[in-house]
Amino acid sequence: MSGNNHQYAFFLGCIAPNRYPGIEAAAIQTSKNVGIDLLPLKGASCCPAPGAFGSIDLNVWYAMAARNVVLAEQMKMDIALVCNGCYKSIWEVNHKLKHNDELRDGVNEVLKEIDMEFKGTVDVWHLAELYYDPKVVGVKKIADSVRRPLTGAKVAVHYGCHLMKPGKERHFGDTENPMWMEELVAALGAEPVQYRNKMQCCGAGGGVRGYDLTHALDITNEKLINLQEVGADALTEVCPFCQLQYDRGQVEIKDKFGIEWGLPVLHYNELLGLAQGMSPDELALDLHAVDVEPFLKKIL
Amino acid sequence: MAVKKDYKDQKLAEKLRDRKYYIPDSNPEFIKDVEKIGQTAAHMCYQCGTCTGSCPSAPRSSYRIRLFMRKAILGLEEEALTDPDLWLCTTCYSCTDRCPRDLAPTDAIMAMRNLAFKRDIVPRNFLQTVQLIYKSGHGVPNNDANRAARKKLGLEEEPETTHKYPEYLPGIRKIIDHYKLKENADRILAEGE
Repeated sequence: MSGNNHQYAFFLGCIAPNRYPGIEAAAIQTSKNVGIDLLPLKGASCCPAPGAFGSIDLNVWYAMAARNVVLAEQMKMDIALVCNGCYKSIWEVNHKLKHNDELRDGVNEVLKEIDMEFKGTVDVWHLAELYYDPKVVGVKKIADSVRRPLTGAKVAVHYGCHLMKPGKERHFGDTENPMWMEELVAALGAEPVQYRNKMQCCGAGGGVRGYDLTHALDITNEKLINLQEVGADALTEVCPFCQLQYDRGQVEIKDKFGIEWGLPVLHYNELLGLAQGMSPDELALDLHAVDVEPFLKKIL
Repeated sequence: MAVKKDYKDQKLAEKLRDRKYYIPDSNPEFIKDVEKIGQTAAHMCYQCGTCTGSCPSAPRSSYRIRLFMRKAILGLEEEALTDPDLWLCTTCYSCTDRCPRDLAPTDAIMAMRNLAFKRDIVPRNFLQTVQLIYKSGHGVPNNDANRAARKKLGLEEEPETTHKYPEYLPGIRKIIDHYKLKENADRILAEGE
């Protein structure tokens, strides 16, 4: 642990550690390279999934997300995470409980049963926003950390929904055509490409992936059509659940609709890892359902 | 002197004068419940349709979020809560970002789903997630192939979550049990067998 690094409690969630562990490994390593230490948040659970849990009982969602926040409060450390779904649960519940006394009292009554109390003493951040924030990392420092520029690769950005929306509750500004992630992509030497309906959902959220897979995939497929039109070599996102939907979803789309896209999908931390010189093996890119090789050939 | 427009059938006239609740099975409390749970002033909706126009689910299904907003206002609880389309919202919040009335239609949908669950109306996949989290703390738990991959990466086989520290599970189960969520999930799933 270096002396002047920023330190955060690393909230893992489910899909990064349990399906794409390369994201977890990349997040820890790439963050260290730009001055952020991610420390284990011991005993954290599922955020819990905002679509699944929030849809059936918001009170349980508040209480379980609050428990995860309290673990960080006990460490006296802000939380950093790598998933938009987790951000929705952890950031939003933290925010709501800080500003709504009635809600906080209700949650604390339940937390009391397990000797915990939500105090509202920490903040929650997505790693992507910390990378963009010049007070923490900033685009320049990201660019300076690059050892192997992704020159010649056209990379499209999928922002996902739950990081920036609903915009009036968040702090990211424009949610119709944001460009800050494109700046983060350009910092790696790749060419960020624009495409139609960039802010459209991946289709998986709100429990729809589990409820009606064909419906969810049809939304995903529309996005893949738009990405194909601009000749993207890869899609990058900051949400392992979106990644799952685009990556495994392409296999399911081939199965159900008979359409084969073959578009590599990489979490920004995986992309950053490649640019900082990590090998595909160190990122477990072989776990991706869609072969990442064509993209690697372009950049290596 | 102008003739007051009315219907001969006095009962019908009365019903139509009350322009909000003229369907016999409408429940005026429904909109209040939706507003309380969803924390949004849903009755302010003026049916412009920006929500449906922004909705990724609308072009590929009969799901119309504007319709659900209207049903909430009219107190058509039964119709809204038993409509399978209720579960097609991906919660992308595009409608919420664009609503000219500054409402959160997404959160109104979430509220209606919460109310549906209270009546045991809920798709199975939502309940299965509850069971998974109750068991392991994770909605998407670890497995052997992933453990092997983690080891290859130099990570521990179990992440620093409830997977590595199962001693945290009783606390999580206490929270879920406080709301009888697991009990209800098990029961509803068993009844559906």
